Amino acid sequence: MNPVRIEFIRQKMSEMRREDGLDDVNPTRPLDGLDVLDVGCGGGLLCETLARLGGRTLGIDASSSNIAIASLHASADPGLSSPQKTKGSLTYEHTSVEDLLAQRGSKSFDVVCSMEVIEHVDNPATFLTNCATLVKPGGHLFLSTIARTPLSYALTIFAAEQVLRLVTPGTHTHSKYINPDELTDFFLRLDSDAPAQDAVPKQSAAPRPWISRLYGGVPSRTEAEIRGIIYLPWKGEWMLVPRGAPGASIWAEACNYMFWVRRPFK
Amino acid sequence: MATTTPQESDVVIVGGGPAGLALACALASAPAIQDSLRVVLVEAADLNKVRNWNEGPSTFSNRVSSITNASQSFLGEIGAWAHVDEGRTCPIEEMQVWDGVSDARVTFSMQDDHASILSAEPETQLARLTENLNLQRGLLRYLDKNGTVELADKVKVQSIVREEREGGGWPLVHLSDGRVLRARLLVGADGFNSPVRAYSGIQSYGWAYETSAIVATLVHNPRTSFQAPNTVAYQRFLPTGPIAFLPLSPTASSMVWSTKPHLAKALLSSDPAVLTAMINAAFRLPEVSLRYLHQRILDSASGGKPLSPEQLHEEIAWRERSHHIDSRSAYSLAADTGGVPPEDADSLPPLVTSMQPGTAASFPLKLSHADEYIGDGAGARTVLVGDAAHTIHPLAGQGLNMGIGDVESLFRCIHKSVLNGGDVGSRTALLPYARERYFENHKILAACDKLHKLYASTAEPVVWARSVGLEVLNELDSVKAAIMLNAGSRRSRKSLSGTQLGVNFGADAVETIARNLSGVSTLTKGVAGMVGDGLQKVL
Repeated sequence: MNPVRIEFIRQKMSEMRREDGLDDVNPTRPLDGLDVLDVGCGGGLLCETLARLGGRTLGIDASSSNIAIASLHASADPGLSSPQKTKGSLTYEHTSVEDLLAQRGSKSFDVVCSMEVIEHVDNPATFLTNCATLVKPGGHLFLSTIARTPLSYALTIFAAEQVLRLVTPGTHTHSKYINPDELTDFFLRLDSDAPAQDAVPKQSAAPRPWISRLYGGVPSRTEAEIRGIIYLPWKGEWMLVPRGAPGASIWAEACNYMFWVRRPFK
Repeated sequence: MATTTPQESDVVIVGGGPAGLALACALASAPAIQDSLRVVLVEAADLNKVRNWNEGPSTFSNRVSSITNASQSFLGEIGAWAHVDEGRTCPIEEMQVWDGVSDARVTFSMQDDHASILSAEPETQLARLTENLNLQRGLLRYLDKNGTVELADKVKVQSIVREEREGGGWPLVHLSDGRVLRARLLVGADGFNSPVRAYSGIQSYGWAYETSAIVATLVHNPRTSFQAPNTVAYQRFLPTGPIAFLPLSPTASSMVWSTKPHLAKALLSSDPAVLTAMINAAFRLPEVSLRYLHQRILDSASGGKPLSPEQLHEEIAWRERSHHIDSRSAYSLAADTGGVPPEDADSLPPLVTSMQPGTAASFPLKLSHADEYIGDGAGARTVLVGDAAHTIHPLAGQGLNMGIGDVESLFRCIHKSVLNGGDVGSRTALLPYARERYFENHKILAACDKLHKLYASTAEPVVWARSVGLEVLNELDSVKAAIMLNAGSRRSRKSLSGTQLGVNFGADAVETIARNLSGVSTLTKGVAGMVGDGLQKVL
């Protein structure tokens, strides 16, 4: 699934950098010079890729064994471990988002990613707020997760866990899954200067929220975007559903999807 | 050895043959790869020999390959084809294939109606015949000009060992010049006895054909102005193996004659004039007489009294008379090649007058296919292309094209992986290559193998069935078009950027229909389909 995530991150980053008037973006290094954070990095698959794309990457995970595995894997790769190269860099830290926020302060990263994590945390609103607070103004937050639908139950829990045993049974809890409109809704109400403590900030006369308004239920593509990811069994690979595919919210975003949102500059 | 610090390399290509060089060219052609990957090509031989290869305009190297339009367009796309001396290559505009026992014949031509089914743009050639050295020299010239690939020639791979490291080490390639390369991705383009394949632990299966291929550059008179130019390839399937005539210039052509090893040995040890006459006879005389002549050659070789050219000519003349072959017919070796040609002259290659000295040689034929193309576990970070992955019977001239097809697919994988920040040595990055190529190559290998076996038979019912199949096939334009498509006669339209998506889609749809047609024909026409399915590769 990693290539598909990267495809989305690449597309979106290139698009937004063009939007900001940066025309000379190197196509092989769309993250050049950016501070990138991957929350819940696991074995470091995404982190290594982000570093190769030019990002000064930090991977954090709550499990120390994951960090050990990821560090070991990266140490074999001279493109990631040698310090003198001009490419991005990669470091790992065994910590949580809360601790990192306390340590680094808010607005520390240009790009914050968290792939397939939010459906496992107990308090997604706090988790989201913490991740969002770490994003610099004008920075990006990428998430991937699973929607709470009958289809996702059938595929990710019934098929993957109970029948095919591809995933250890009990890995997922259907009630913890989050729907795309719930994420949109959260960022519609999240002020760009929201205090980290308040999970659901109230709408005061404060600066504008991350998503200003919806157009026919969809945010503007410069503020946020949702794209479904579907598995093509005949090709044996995952595919990023093209933007504006007809009825995508019904079939494509009913299971795995990617979510991107950008923090307003002010 | 442990004292040498390994040099970090992203792609190490072992083998400087056509496949290895083509991959190096492809990697050098993409700016994204230039920026991010260090590519090293290791070759044991002296590449200067290829670089400075210079043959006179009328003489030709004996190792030639037919480059399909698909292969040629890929080489053009990466910019390497421009460095191949096109004056030394020859288009094949028509192909005639016939049964050595029954004379059933099939003709493929780009001039025919069925060719128009292939594409809207006019394509005049089915393939292009190129000396391997000409192609390799062109690729090298391209690499010399676009100097991002490090060429390490006259350097042998002494050993490949796995780095000791927790969590899986990378391959360490020890070279004869004392250097050690640490490879992110190790590409085996090192031929049939591939050291990279041995390191990767990939098994390969296959068998020897008990057949040797005799190659030689043939000299003949030019075609008369009443005839089509020398751009027609001919192949006759004899029970001992097919003999192919491949045009190179108006007065020179190449030959690949697959036959029994002991016969090949006897033929090569006989007088060149005897071999020349035997080549002419092999395209013309009925099978029963050929069998007799083969026996004569074998007997005289083992008896220590080699057959003289005069004796052989007399023998052939006698045989022709008994078969009622008119001495003015194209089927007679005595036919006069000047003036108005006989009616049937176009169904046979021109009479060979001599062989270019020093070009006659032979090599054994075998089939092999690696079980996998990507190394796993202890052999991780390895990938096989070209002859390291598969060797094939040359009857369809697909060996080199399969290698180039591998290179094209692997190059796209690497390119995509680099753009997506992937690790080009990882299994994830390489998997699409194996998926795209394994079945494709297997299909071609299997088809050529079956074809070889089908035509080795002289049993009456088999000959009848395959002949009827061939004759039926010759009348089915759409099936012929499908076969030509599969044989790579159409330029590939896959573009890197993915623009012209609509055009691609249209072209793919046509191809899919054509493929299905060919599939359906295989099912419904039994032997006919089988012959056809294999014949598609006769380019």
